[in-house]
Amino acid sequence: MTTMHEKVVHRFASPFDVKSAPGAEGWEEMYPYYFLFSEENREWEDGMLWYQDGVHHPEVLYPFDTITHECWRTALGQYNSRIFAIPPAYGIEQRIVNGYLYIAAVPVSSEERMQERVEIFVRRAGNYYANWDKIFDQWKVKMVALIEKLEKLEVPHLPRLDAEEVVTEMRGISAGWRLVEAYNAAIENMFVAWQYHFEMLNIGYAAFLNLFMFCKQAFPGIKDELIAQMVAGSELLFFRPDDELKRLAQLAIDLGIADKIRVSSKPEDILEGLRRDPAAAKWVASLDEIWHPWFYFSNGAGFYHHHRSWIDDLTVPWSALTGYIDRLERGENLARPKQAILDRRERLTSEYRELLATDEDRAVFDENINLARVVAPYIEDHNFYVEHWHHTVWWNKIREFGDRLVEGGFLEDREDMFFMNRWEVGQAFADMVASWASGGPSGGQKIWRQKVAERKRIFDALHDWAPLPALGPVPEEITEPFTVMLWGITTDRVRSWLGLGGTVAENEIQGVPASPGTAEGRARVVLSSSEIGKIEQGEILVCPITAPSWGPVFSKVQAAVSDIGGMMSHAAIVSREYGLPAVVGTGTGTRRIKTGDMLRVDGNTGLVTILPKSK
Amino acid sequence: MEYILPLKDCHAHFSEVVGGKAMGLGSLLRQDLPVPPGFAVSTHAYREFVEATGIDRAIQKNLRHADTLERQRVASERIRSLFEESELQGPLFGELTEAYRELGPQGSLPVAVRSSSVSEDAAEASFAGEHDTFLWVEGPEAVAKNVLRCWSSLFTPQALSYFRQFELHPDETAMGVVVQTMVAAEAAGVMITIDPVTGDRSQISIEGSCGLGLAVVGGEVTPDRYFVDKVTLDIRSRMISPKGIAYRFDSELGEVCRIEIPEEEQMRPCLTEEEVIQIAALGKQVERALGTPQDIEWALGPGVSGDREIYLLQTRPETVWRNKQATPSATSHTSIMNRLVGNMSVPMRIV
Repeated sequence: MTTMHEKVVHRFASPFDVKSAPGAEGWEEMYPYYFLFSEENREWEDGMLWYQDGVHHPEVLYPFDTITHECWRTALGQYNSRIFAIPPAYGIEQRIVNGYLYIAAVPVSSEERMQERVEIFVRRAGNYYANWDKIFDQWKVKMVALIEKLEKLEVPHLPRLDAEEVVTEMRGISAGWRLVEAYNAAIENMFVAWQYHFEMLNIGYAAFLNLFMFCKQAFPGIKDELIAQMVAGSELLFFRPDDELKRLAQLAIDLGIADKIRVSSKPEDILEGLRRDPAAAKWVASLDEIWHPWFYFSNGAGFYHHHRSWIDDLTVPWSALTGYIDRLERGENLARPKQAILDRRERLTSEYRELLATDEDRAVFDENINLARVVAPYIEDHNFYVEHWHHTVWWNKIREFGDRLVEGGFLEDREDMFFMNRWEVGQAFADMVASWASGGPSGGQKIWRQKVAERKRIFDALHDWAPLPALGPVPEEITEPFTVMLWGITTDRVRSWLGLGGTVAENEIQGVPASPGTAEGRARVVLSSSEIGKIEQGEILVCPITAPSWGPVFSKVQAAVSDIGGMMSHAAIVSREYGLPAVVGTGTGTRRIKTGDMLRVDGNTGLVTILPKSK
Repeated sequence: MEYILPLKDCHAHFSEVVGGKAMGLGSLLRQDLPVPPGFAVSTHAYREFVEATGIDRAIQKNLRHADTLERQRVASERIRSLFEESELQGPLFGELTEAYRELGPQGSLPVAVRSSSVSEDAAEASFAGEHDTFLWVEGPEAVAKNVLRCWSSLFTPQALSYFRQFELHPDETAMGVVVQTMVAAEAAGVMITIDPVTGDRSQISIEGSCGLGLAVVGGEVTPDRYFVDKVTLDIRSRMISPKGIAYRFDSELGEVCRIEIPEEEQMRPCLTEEEVIQIAALGKQVERALGTPQDIEWALGPGVSGDREIYLLQTRPETVWRNKQATPSATSHTSIMNRLVGNMSVPMRIV
């Protein structure tokens, strides 16, 4: 299995030539061996083009957090390779270099094998397309059941003496063993969530891709985002939490308690006060009613343990809530223009359709667009179930295991567990439970505290390393249908990494045009959700990546610029919904732009200009 | 038989009477699109004139021996001087003067006098004289003079060779003329309601430069180029080029002059983005009204209010892609599943 039959014309650095980040020597030891480049695999690994996955994993990987990409490596791969038999594509391989995730698409390199897969794909994926809505309904049921199972999972403490019931109920299993079981169940639950995640995802994208390719052939100049707009629905789950905040804002005004919500204090404290206030009882009840699941909304992508959700930190929803109250009091209408979006979708669709050359083309277009619209709800909504709702519960559940390690003297702080990978945590529990059982001493107490301290130091050093965008040889062409769509790896992107791209001026940054329109204003660089509160009305948001739960922010800003993301990224979708110009995938936006810079954002061309400072 | 027709009345069934340019303008006016006010001089006027002056016989005589390139050149010169040394008289001149005075109260309104050929496409290519448009013409006598020059432009050496080659009788051909209020263009150019390179029908391609349209039509400058999405009217891309020269009317000299643009001004876009979008919106409207992609000339100049306004000077069906299907897309004979497989296997070229 090799891709090297294709002509290699350019080459990034070999992964084997990349030196450890200064001060981070020994970083490899933090990660499972199968994520490391190795001499044993060198021939194959050196023949592949690897790109840093800035879309999903832009940060240094905490050893424990590698579980999310490990989950999708298996899940994505198996659906492409073994289940739906996507004809030209196997899965995505992953390696870690200096703490950053690099990925490589594994192609189906023999024509014969590809042909063999066509028939299987047509039958298997065809069945999913034909029954899509029904399958998605069932999917939601099993996904919610999986979340409930996780919520119910008990993480036992290790008592000095086990409970009386172990004997009276003749359980036959100790609290210690149940702790080991619970840990295994939590890990398993995460893997299953990702198995479900990819069940309908890539074949859904294949239907999108089919429409994209058709439109690009018929209308070579059409912007990707217009194709996306012809498909997008107006009832995404992602907008639901924000809609609930708007409703709560109105309710607060109706009940005359707006000023009690707006006091300047920690949102959690304000809420505690409201709970004791009879005048706010109805409002609090209404909040409690929608809390689950709509506040299980990550402030990040959900991929990392530190992507906390609304339920963990009320800063983001509370800031939006008070903003909405202010605006409602000023007489603004906060309703999303749902009908206008649907009208635009229909107008775009019928006008492009009309421009097609023949009736035959129109018939094909109709078929393609209908299929894309059938799959769209899954593509749009699956993240809410998995990365937001499920992962909010999961990361909190995992912290309980951290507590147990603290109780057992293995760690000083529950958060330290994230410096151990999932296998190491399993080993620590094996050690802890065994020594609990035997009554003997455990070496793990010293070992893990020392390792964590050492790894924190390594981690800081890795932070200072700027990841290379890609490694390895560049083939003349890439036959991988999902790379462009999911990772935004386009010809131009690779060329600019290679320094072959067109030149842009010093004060200009080229990104992907994601939502049309232009805007000029003051930049606000926001590196994490904890800084969201600083955003002022009318500023231009400049961020590494936006998460759906940042939705409320979009009612404050007049344009958005992100380092990473493509046409279908959250920032792009939300900006289109709010009618804001957006440029995504700038690569270097947050590094080159400073808060306070005057910017011009052109969402039609993808150009961001840093304007000269006015006096 | 009328000598003069209002542009608005130039319908397709009059094509033999007023020519293609007048017809195109008539169709724009009937859609209430902005076209400078004007009128058409009919082919009847031409026919009566050549008959009354005996120029028709002179043409036949001169054509008879024009069997070499050199003789065609000499014949062309003779015929054209017959036109250009004549004068319009009688009712024809009277009606022309009246129509001209109706355009502008002061009686010295600058107009453009443009030929409007009745020939078929292929013939048009051969007949098209280089100087069939005369700008900044003032006063009825000057208008009459330039109508004659338009008529004479039927008889270029190339046209004569075409007459002989296809054994056409000169009586079978005729020339209409369009007289229109002059737009003192600050910018002008062309637009095609299609991508002329890819055939993308969702695109409007606009080229423009500073001053009168001569510089763009004559290929003397690399114009600014704008590509606009026909559906959303958003600008897809823009290429601003250095524009070294422009044609402008010099009121002191009383003529159109070729002006060198100072280097620091050459990169200034000739249009604002709003103007680009307005022009494209007009193009979209024209294509909708006429049913096929169009090749349109436009100009931007002071309107009645003095503000910059857009005018359409000409439209004709786009010819390159008219009989060609844009990039053949998938056919409906293959199932959507197989098309899906095909679309997943399109390689992406990196370099």
